[in-house]
Amino acid sequence: MDTFAIRTEGLTKRYGQLLALDTLDIAVPTGSVFGFLGPNGAGKSTTIRLLLGMARPSSGHARIFDTDARDVRSAHRSLAYVPADVALWPQLTGAETLELLGRTGPGVDRGYRNELVERFALDLSKPGRTYSTGNRQKVALVAAFATRAPLLVLDEPTSGLDPLMEREFQRAVAQARERGQTVFLSSHQLTEVESVCDRVAILRAGRLVEIADVADLRRLHRSQVEVTFAGTAPQLTDVPGVGAVERLGPARLRFTLTGPPAPVLRALATADVTALTVHEPTLEEIFLDYYDEVAR
Amino acid sequence: MTAVGTPAPRAARVTADTSAGRAVTWLAVRQVRRGATIVLVLVVGMSAMVATTYASTFTDTMDAAALAALAENPAIRTLFGQPVALDSAGGFTVWRTGTVLAVLVGVWALLTATRITRGAEDAGHWNLLLAGRIPLSTVVMRHATVLVAAVLLTGLATATALTTAGTPPVGAALHGASIALVGVFFAAAGVLAAQMLPNRAAASGATVALLSAGLLLRMIGDGVDALGWLRWLSPFGLAALSRPYHDNRIVPLVVLALAASILLTASTVATAHRDVQGSWLAPRTGRAPRLRLLGSIPAFALRRLLRPLAGWTAGVGAYYLLIGLLAVSMTTFLADNPRFADLAVQAGFAGLGSVEGYVATMFALLAIPAGTFTAVRIAATATAETDRQLTLIYAGPVTRLRLLAAETATTAAGTVALTTLAGLATWIGARSAGAPLKLDAALTGATNVLPIAALCLAAAIFALGWLPRAVALVGSLPAAGGFLLQVVADSTGAPHWVGTLSPFAHLAPVPEVAPDWTGTLGMLVTVAILTVTGAIGYQRRDLNT
Repeated sequence: MDTFAIRTEGLTKRYGQLLALDTLDIAVPTGSVFGFLGPNGAGKSTTIRLLLGMARPSSGHARIFDTDARDVRSAHRSLAYVPADVALWPQLTGAETLELLGRTGPGVDRGYRNELVERFALDLSKPGRTYSTGNRQKVALVAAFATRAPLLVLDEPTSGLDPLMEREFQRAVAQARERGQTVFLSSHQLTEVESVCDRVAILRAGRLVEIADVADLRRLHRSQVEVTFAGTAPQLTDVPGVGAVERLGPARLRFTLTGPPAPVLRALATADVTALTVHEPTLEEIFLDYYDEVAR
Repeated sequence: MTAVGTPAPRAARVTADTSAGRAVTWLAVRQVRRGATIVLVLVVGMSAMVATTYASTFTDTMDAAALAALAENPAIRTLFGQPVALDSAGGFTVWRTGTVLAVLVGVWALLTATRITRGAEDAGHWNLLLAGRIPLSTVVMRHATVLVAAVLLTGLATATALTTAGTPPVGAALHGASIALVGVFFAAAGVLAAQMLPNRAAASGATVALLSAGLLLRMIGDGVDALGWLRWLSPFGLAALSRPYHDNRIVPLVVLALAASILLTASTVATAHRDVQGSWLAPRTGRAPRLRLLGSIPAFALRRLLRPLAGWTAGVGAYYLLIGLLAVSMTTFLADNPRFADLAVQAGFAGLGSVEGYVATMFALLAIPAGTFTAVRIAATATAETDRQLTLIYAGPVTRLRLLAAETATTAAGTVALTTLAGLATWIGARSAGAPLKLDAALTGATNVLPIAALCLAAAIFALGWLPRAVALVGSLPAAGGFLLQVVADSTGAPHWVGTLSPFAHLAPVPEVAPDWTGTLGMLVTVAILTVTGAIGYQRRDLNT
């Protein structure tokens, strides 16, 4: 098996004057859960269309495992896709849709599919036109997870799901990871990305602004630290990594910490610290940081 | 909060209400203006051209008496309606173009009605609109009004053009009104069907069935003297009964206008008592799965083809059964009046004296439904792409070429079935009426139009590759456009080469004579070029998902 499920090199897409995607280079390691973030219009869906061979790159190329993404007959044998806005054949019932996708797709594990139908509480007897947005999404999710394809490409797959179903989705992603499947997850739900993804790429205006492991992202970003102390305040000026020191009360301090915590711990050891809380940044805060930075 | 109860905001609201209504009207105008313009130009252009070139047609080809005699032939009456005033430019125009143009306006009006009402509602385009302060009934009625205005304008322009061409104003007004009222009738029927049926395809299908039934009643009424009263039950029959440029009767048009207003009123009532995205005849909410024909891409293409094919076959089959049944009344007529057979030969309708010549003339028309069928099927593929139903199939291990090949093959097979069944229906009709028509002759005659249907299929594939928004239009061009071109070329004495642009010029009247193999070969070469170019375009372009 290749080491990368998805690899793009200089992937670029222009629509006339508009540069929708600008020389994107990403590599998604096999077996990882990869988050793909960015605001509306950043080029996430364009990237997915290019990965699926639905649009042609203006330059550069994309590979799915060891196949060119444009060779859909080979590439699509090893992937399953859930679109952001699922449209079903209006006259086919859920069961018929699953049958069609199972028989024309990259293969299906029927036992697991039946289990997923139960878990997602999906009524398969209804015709496609009568399903709500969330139920349409569930049909596509069940179809995709049941394929057991080595790569799952999920574009905003939970935007229509309720919290219970979202929990089922996260369970299904975790199970897929356990089986060694790779998941490429484009999403706006940052808490969801944070809880399921190992690695994220952040896209803005068609350009990649960051690609890192979620844990590394946290380390690179500021944590909030609050200390309560008895007696004299700890001396924090000129301690590496410390910034924005704020006095919250006579015996409380708050400051931000970037980088390794050792120097600040040594500084705090000199004072009589009675309580210490460290709040790591959420992905949402990191994400917003990027945009604030770029906006500034 | 401070503004509550003060007159200023209330005044502002009144203004907003009117402009909101106007915005809906403008939305409807934007959705129909392109199609309405094309229909108006076609209707006005064809009417004016035939009327202004009337004199040259007559002096060049034959005298009026000969033409009148020929037109008494039940076959010709069945096709174009009863001729009533062939000795005048206006009467000739009505007879030569009236039915064709009324069908054109009717089909456009009904398809547009279901597209801009049920289609927009089903696609969810109206959800935001209806969350505003305008109720569903207003939105539907404003769309209906715009469509009615568009067909009335077409009628008015036709009347003006015919008057300008020098025909008597009363006849021109009556003919314009009859074309417009047929349009209004089918627009209203389409809007009503859109309120009753749960989706656009069902609403369009039901209204097309109504139009076909209306056309059949008119044809039976015109072809069989004893059943002439049937024309009072058909919009096309009522239009014919008004007899423009001859009796100028207004009563049939009043009946037609009344029928159209009843349909419009009924749709207002129907709209007022239903849910948004709901309908009077609700679809079933659940059923057991039917898993046949879901196993592969070609099987699924076949599954989607079967129901539309059944509808088309029923309509076309009924039409050709009637053609077969009429064969005997035509032969009897010619046996009783041998002079007319000679006149028909002089006029170029060489074959009409024999059963085989008559069905050959009628089979040429089969190219229009057969070609339109192929165009509509490929257009359905384009719609499934833009409506994103195909997205999950595209994401599977299936190349676009394989998908296109499956659609093309099933459509082609469906077209062969459609034409074969039309031949069979003609044979059954002819035999049960006692006309001497052989089964193989009927089948060869019917399948002889397949090259034109293949041209339509190839044009549709070309459009799918390069003009995916205009698949139905481009696809039906070889058949519908070719037929209109031939009618115009024949009726106006246009230069010879204009007529040869139409594929119908290269279609031999089979079974009366042998197929035109050179013409067929030429069409098939064009088919191959268009198909390959279209497939390359489809393979290379970005999908509209």
